[in-house]
Amino acid sequence: MSNPLTPANENGRQSILEIQELSIQFGGLKAVNNFDLELQSHDLQGLIGPNGAGKTTVFNMITGVYTPTAGNIFLQGQEISGLEPHEINHMGIARTFQNIRLFPSLTVLDNVRIAYHAHAGYSFVDGVLHNGHFQKKERELTEKAQDFLAVFNLQDRQDWTARNLPYGEQRRLEIARALSAEPQLLLLDEPAAGMNPAESSSLMDLIHFIRERFNLTILLIEHQMRVVMGICEKITVMDFGEVIARGTPQEIQSNPKVIEAYLGPGAAALSEKFRRKKVQ
Amino acid sequence: MLKKIPRSNLLFFGAALLVFAIIQVAISTYMLNDFWNTILRLGAVMAIVSLGLNLIYGYNGQFSLGQWGFYAIGAYVAADITYRWTNNNDATGLAILLFGVLLVGGAIVYLRSVLGKIRGLDALSAFTMYFLATLILGIASVYIGQWVGPAITALLMALPAAVSLQIVYILAVIIAGIFAAEVSFLFGLPVLTLGSDYFGIATLGFTIIVKVLLDNSDTMLGFQEMKGARGMIGIPKITSWFWVFLALVVVVVIMRNLLHSSYGRAIISVREDEIAGKAMGIDVAEYKILAFVIGSFFAGLAGGLYAHINGFLHPNSFNFIKSFDPMIIIVLGGLGSITGTLVASFAWALLLEGVLRLVLPQGFETWRFVVYPLLLLLMMLLRPSGLLGAYEIPFLRQILPPLKNLGKTGKPEAGNAAPVQEATK
Repeated sequence: MSNPLTPANENGRQSILEIQELSIQFGGLKAVNNFDLELQSHDLQGLIGPNGAGKTTVFNMITGVYTPTAGNIFLQGQEISGLEPHEINHMGIARTFQNIRLFPSLTVLDNVRIAYHAHAGYSFVDGVLHNGHFQKKERELTEKAQDFLAVFNLQDRQDWTARNLPYGEQRRLEIARALSAEPQLLLLDEPAAGMNPAESSSLMDLIHFIRERFNLTILLIEHQMRVVMGICEKITVMDFGEVIARGTPQEIQSNPKVIEAYLGPGAAALSEKFRRKKVQ
Repeated sequence: MLKKIPRSNLLFFGAALLVFAIIQVAISTYMLNDFWNTILRLGAVMAIVSLGLNLIYGYNGQFSLGQWGFYAIGAYVAADITYRWTNNNDATGLAILLFGVLLVGGAIVYLRSVLGKIRGLDALSAFTMYFLATLILGIASVYIGQWVGPAITALLMALPAAVSLQIVYILAVIIAGIFAAEVSFLFGLPVLTLGSDYFGIATLGFTIIVKVLLDNSDTMLGFQEMKGARGMIGIPKITSWFWVFLALVVVVVIMRNLLHSSYGRAIISVREDEIAGKAMGIDVAEYKILAFVIGSFFAGLAGGLYAHINGFLHPNSFNFIKSFDPMIIIVLGGLGSITGTLVASFAWALLLEGVLRLVLPQGFETWRFVVYPLLLLLMMLLRPSGLLGAYEIPFLRQILPPLKNLGKTGKPEAGNAAPVQEATK
């Protein structure tokens, strides 16, 4: 599956997402300024930064919720900025939300089946008539959804109402729902928010598992440093709408700019002193 | 083949047939007098409007007060067609509207497939194109209708009078539904881009506009036979229990089938969470329009049926205050419950128009409108989820195809799914 617009780079991997000089302005506020990012297939990258740095705004621009005021977003070489959110989803980007956004009063099964809508394979008229074609396709679709739930170990819950699920399972269902549309790129917005250490450990396993199983490229926003540092191969740090650092977890941890962004000016020097003391 | 029909379907159609037969027999043998006969028919008509509104508000989450306006449009459109036929023996009106709704409907479906491919087309320019197409085809159908009208008249005159009247009536009711649906499409296209509350206000405005136009239908619209605020008379009284019941069953089946299909789930996802719906690939704008148009089709259909119950239409019946009636019915019956809507509609007709009218002493009939809001208040305090909540009779319930037994023992691909299994602990 080679795309002439996106030649495979030296590793033989393909560029999935390329963001160039992305900016958005709300009134006088530059929420995101000159944001760049490149994701290659099978990458697992993190996006971190203090609250209000513009991370979720970047996600919202990638998924079409906001239209950027400047810059480009390419999905496999195709420009996607300015498209409607559902069109972007159909092109292969799925996401989860910071505050879980399931379809609360629907069953677990229906939550997943809704995401299959574009692949339902029958027309509106078939749907109203409930004819043979509808029956066949609907059964296929339901079985597919059930298989999918089984992968996420939610099969026992299929007729539960989504809002009654325990928190961890809601998170899992949200990821399952996002993946059921078979995206290439998954955006996770603070998947570990509100989780205890044991839960976030199993979440880390889950993220590794889905990446292998569905051959995904993943970009995640996360505040829990243990999660970010534990699973991301590369991290981008934002502050006040701009990228302030980028690198491997080790590089990021010792980057004075990052420490300053998180802990305030002077903190970098302090931490340097602290480290020297420790060494002595 | 009989084996394949689920038991709940047989039960439903059996019960429907039984209810129809009992009431029909009671009517035919004069056990039910005209008063109760009318009330039952009004209940069924109200059920159709309310089901349409429930699709829009209960399932799609769009607060619409415009259904009463579409109901009024349906009533007057159907009444005008049958009026012209019975009083003038002229099928030109029928021909014009028939060609009108078919041409405009075809154009809308065609334009939708063409415009859907254009990226970044804003709602207003799309609306302009639909509006122009409607205008041009509307004028064209007036000419076509006038041209073929005499031929259709002659054709219908050749049939026995009773048969031709029934044909004109059925066509008129269906045309009324499609007409209302097309108006709702043109109205909804720009207005559905508004947020829910603003949408409610805009639809209320729509109902008021319709009422004002009907008040002045003889002067502003130029339809002398509608007689403006004096009320339209001379409409044949041919909506029988059979027709309303048939229409109601068809509407219930359509609603149920739609809601239990992928399209219905897409409609419901808009109510549940618009942003999540969009992110899951649901074209939210399209499903808002879809629900609105189907709901308005039902309203127009109900209007057409209503017009032929009393044989008299007055703009005051379509006052915007009345537009809260179906709203109250669906809230009482339970938002997002077909069974609840059916029960509440018939309860509304039987209690409010029937029992209370008889029980309350002379001169106190107006107290109905005190009892009724009080009931609503009590209901909101005691059962905020509605009379029946989310209960549905088996026929209307979510029917899962035979579930694969993945239950407790099923651990598909145990090796692969290991981390997920752990996650549940």
